[in-house]
Amino acid sequence: MYLRSLTACCCLAALALASAVAAHGAGDTVVMRTIPAGTYEPLLRTTKDAAAVAVPAFLLDERAVTNADYLAFVTANPKWRRSQVSRLFADESYLQHWTGDLEPGPAAPPGAPVVRVSWFAARAYARWAGKRLPTTAEWELAARAGYDGPDGRNEEAMKRDLYAWLARPVPAVLGDAGALRPDFHGVRGLHGLVWEWVDDFNTAMVTGESRADTGLDRDLFCGAGSVGASDTTDYAAFMRAALRSSLKGPNTTTSLGFRCARDAGPLTASLP
Amino acid sequence: MKTTVLFLLLTTLALGAEAPADACCKEAPVVKKADACCAAPADAAPFSAKSLYQTDVAFTDDAGRSFQLGELHGRPVVLTMFFASCGYACPLLVTDMQAIRAKLPAEIRDQAAFVLVSFDVERDTPAALAAYREQRGLGRDWILLHGNDDAVRELAALLGVKYKPETGGGFSHSNLITLLNREGEVAYQRNGLKGGLDETAAALVVAGAK
Repeated sequence: MYLRSLTACCCLAALALASAVAAHGAGDTVVMRTIPAGTYEPLLRTTKDAAAVAVPAFLLDERAVTNADYLAFVTANPKWRRSQVSRLFADESYLQHWTGDLEPGPAAPPGAPVVRVSWFAARAYARWAGKRLPTTAEWELAARAGYDGPDGRNEEAMKRDLYAWLARPVPAVLGDAGALRPDFHGVRGLHGLVWEWVDDFNTAMVTGESRADTGLDRDLFCGAGSVGASDTTDYAAFMRAALRSSLKGPNTTTSLGFRCARDAGPLTASLP
Repeated sequence: MKTTVLFLLLTTLALGAEAPADACCKEAPVVKKADACCAAPADAAPFSAKSLYQTDVAFTDDAGRSFQLGELHGRPVVLTMFFASCGYACPLLVTDMQAIRAKLPAEIRDQAAFVLVSFDVERDTPAALAAYREQRGLGRDWILLHGNDDAVRELAALLGVKYKPETGGGFSHSNLITLLNREGEVAYQRNGLKGGLDETAAALVVAGAK
């Protein structure tokens, strides 16, 4: 008992020293930030979905996984190299902008987010790094932060940067994942560079056509009711919901990357 | 290769060898191709590029036995994701699977596997699935699987099944019956709840040929 509390003290001290916790996954060096417990209000929900979902505190990568990170992963895991990946797990566009299997090349700078990766690939990376993908609830809770507080939905600077990004076409070569302005939690680039995979992307129940969603879904989806939106002004959240519902696990796109998450231990959760 | 192994095993059995498994190796000189025989257990054929059996996620069947999807290799498969306490679509999906089964020619039906994988990782324990088997009167060719969150999420992504927990403890989910050919490749999917049973049964006969 004494020993345990001593250990707990040491852990607390260590955590207090650095609220950012470095990953111990081989080859993955991304710093993780603590996202405090909060409440996620699903954007689109049916009458059977909860209006608010409690999200326990968790750790989230400070930035998106980069080409350099991903190179370390494919170097260690040949079956995820472009020439060897199974079509079951990634479509033909997987890492097509890389020069070769182990050469990201000029279109994929080391510090830029890796894109053209499938959900299966992102998940395999996370497992290799000793982490997991964030859930939709976790990702959206983190992405709600502004520069000055945990809820930036009405923060002018945040909104300006967000909508400026949405208005820009995807550049041929993406910028540095670690260079964007950190938000209130110290996390960078949840908006502004790429879209990101979430672990439960396949919870989205939108069939894609509004009339179909009210009429056909009784047959296509068991339990689905009518869909309502919690905040009809949150245009970016609509875009994310539409993207997730349109994706299949092996899909890859030029503007879709990912970052990893991890459960916060009970100690981290109790930190102020 | 596979046929040879099967042939050798059958020969061994037919000869009335009630010996343990390694008898196969000892009797090798008699049946010639010793190496093929002995290598068989470790030497599982690699799965095709579109085979779902490439996934390494593991499930547990309703007898509590660990189950890899690759164990279905070589059989035509009818697979549906469901949950046992579902009141609306799932009972219909299982009834439809039974109807498809009834429509199959005997030679396909005798080889086919009917697989139910539950979304409900909390409540659909192997024991709960065993009770469901009893309740629905499902025979030995039905395989009921429980998996953890990770395994269920991955299989759903492989099949294109969407699902979401609801506040009442249930799930909303795609109503999808998937047919796999003997390689474990998706051969056909019936989306929705109405009809299509003849087409699905016919598709399984085609899938069973591969």
